[in-house]
Amino acid sequence: MSSTSLIELNNVSKTYSTAAGDFPALKNINLKVGGGEFLGIVGKSGAGKSTLLNMINGVDELTEGEVLVAERADGRKLSIHDMSEDARSLWRGKNMGVIYQSFQLLPMLNLLENIMLPMDLSNNFHPRRSRERAMELLQLVELEEHAQKLPAFISGGQQQRVAIARALANDPLILVADEPTGSLDSLTADHIFDVFEHLVHDQGKTIIMVTHDMGLASRFSRSLTIADGELQNGQDALNFDRTTAGQK
Amino acid sequence: MKRSPLRAALKVEPAQTDASQAMIELHGIVKTFSNAAGEFIVLKGVDLTIQRGEFVSIVGKSGSGKSTLLNMVTGIDHPTEGQVIVNGMDIYTGITESQRSKWRGRNLGIVFQFFQLLPMLTLLENVMLPMDYVDLYDFDERPKRAMELLTLVGLEKFALKLPVLVSTGQQQLAAIARAMACDPPLLVADEPTGNLDTRSADTIIQLFEGFVAQGKTVVMVTHDPSLTSRTHRNIIISDGEMIDETVSKCLPQLRHRHMLEFTKIAAERVYQPGETIIPRDQPVDHFFMIRKGQVDVVLLDEMNQEYVVSNLGRGEYFGEVELMGGGRSIANVRAGGSGPAEVVIIPRADFMRVINESPITAEAVGRIVQTRLEEHRVRDHRAART
Repeated sequence: MSSTSLIELNNVSKTYSTAAGDFPALKNINLKVGGGEFLGIVGKSGAGKSTLLNMINGVDELTEGEVLVAERADGRKLSIHDMSEDARSLWRGKNMGVIYQSFQLLPMLNLLENIMLPMDLSNNFHPRRSRERAMELLQLVELEEHAQKLPAFISGGQQQRVAIARALANDPLILVADEPTGSLDSLTADHIFDVFEHLVHDQGKTIIMVTHDMGLASRFSRSLTIADGELQNGQDALNFDRTTAGQK
Repeated sequence: MKRSPLRAALKVEPAQTDASQAMIELHGIVKTFSNAAGEFIVLKGVDLTIQRGEFVSIVGKSGSGKSTLLNMVTGIDHPTEGQVIVNGMDIYTGITESQRSKWRGRNLGIVFQFFQLLPMLTLLENVMLPMDYVDLYDFDERPKRAMELLTLVGLEKFALKLPVLVSTGQQQLAAIARAMACDPPLLVADEPTGNLDTRSADTIIQLFEGFVAQGKTVVMVTHDPSLTSRTHRNIIISDGEMIDETVSKCLPQLRHRHMLEFTKIAAERVYQPGETIIPRDQPVDHFFMIRKGQVDVVLLDEMNQEYVVSNLGRGEYFGEVELMGGGRSIANVRAGGSGPAEVVIIPRADFMRVINESPITAEAVGRIVQTRLEEHRVRDHRAART
């Protein structure tokens, strides 16, 4: 395993200005994420976990610090917040799949079409290939027999599996998931974890997931706690090698 | 941009509309689901017509069939029996799934409780998405139109943000802008405010009212009574059946099962203008609810001259004074106005049984009785003397 991190956060702070004054949502976060990790960030509501995820995927602007991602030809790392909006969006589309608590499938498209959508938008795949690939992804999440159904006709857990398949459409290296099991019962949530573990162990994907559920900590290859905008584990946040996937 | 098979398949022509025709006609809709436990009838023969430009709410308890009913209108689900005509088109007969999908793209805007915005697209891109699929506007025109829609819902400042960076209320507003992207004549919404605070919910209802003012038809499933008062019509579904709208309008405090019971036993009577419905001093054996037209309640003054003590219209009732208090009619009740009066009647025994089981309704009807007796005492000199 390479000792180079896939994602590196250096002294990241995020402050929101509100009518009531400045609110520090993230305070001086230092974090390294290695390739092939299943990293869980656990914290209560308001602890800053979603804000942290939005820094990592470059959705939100940071106040201080940097988030370094892909390596450039000269060996230096790219800071995603230094990219233009378009470049960042392009980078994200290629490298990151996002999954949220509510599944955001388009109700008027069947499951297959929902998964084809990101491929359609990115033009990364030939249309025929995108259909085949969407079917493969449905097989991966064991929903191929429902391919032609509209989202309304499958369960919440199945919809979330489709959302995972869609997040994988453009074959990103990294998946970020914000409370992906938050609205599912524990058995269904278990199934989602099985899919995630498969992606990490068998396909070498890196998954960063935030959750408020302390009980899930043991399912990750590395688990960090966030409270009041600060990572609680100090040095652990930088030690990704020790606990990467496969050594679990 | 190259065209994918998906986009090409969904290309449609602009909708043909006939302004004289109802927007939605459901005829004898039955929907049955089968599961391991057997067959379950979700809709038991629903007939419903919704006119163009109407703002209609549909309510019902969880499991009553209200969302299934909406799925019949959107073409998402198929009825087991019956016919659905939306904007002049029979959407289940002789039409393929892909034709229905085309038709839907042009004719329907749909909003759900959870907003279904694509997380990786900006709000502007999300709103442009249906235009892309329906291929209705020129490619260059789409961002401008999407921006106009975002401005309409007050989100122009957030156009380039991703959904996760705006509030849930704003996400729902963006979803509404997206639903209107292809300028559909019909907007269908399933619990559109179910996940929102009161203020955001109010903004959304105001938007819907704006669409209706432009001549659009809006049909909304909700369980929030504060929203149903803002619509033209409120349709209640109970146990897979539609409650008579006159019953629910006249006796809103009744439990749904009682409304349904009244719906089943109600008989309809039509009276021509001037025709007597209840003669004075006669026993009253029915409870009367007005569906359409006007009804005059007429008393005699000291000179034995008739005068109209009150003029009742749609959603009001009469006969309750005599049923609740016993005795003969205190006034002459007859059809007024210029057109026929349509009245729904419930036999005395059924009315009294249900009222006795529903204290809130008994109280509400009792208050009306008191008011009318007061009115009667003051105005009917004959009564005042006794």
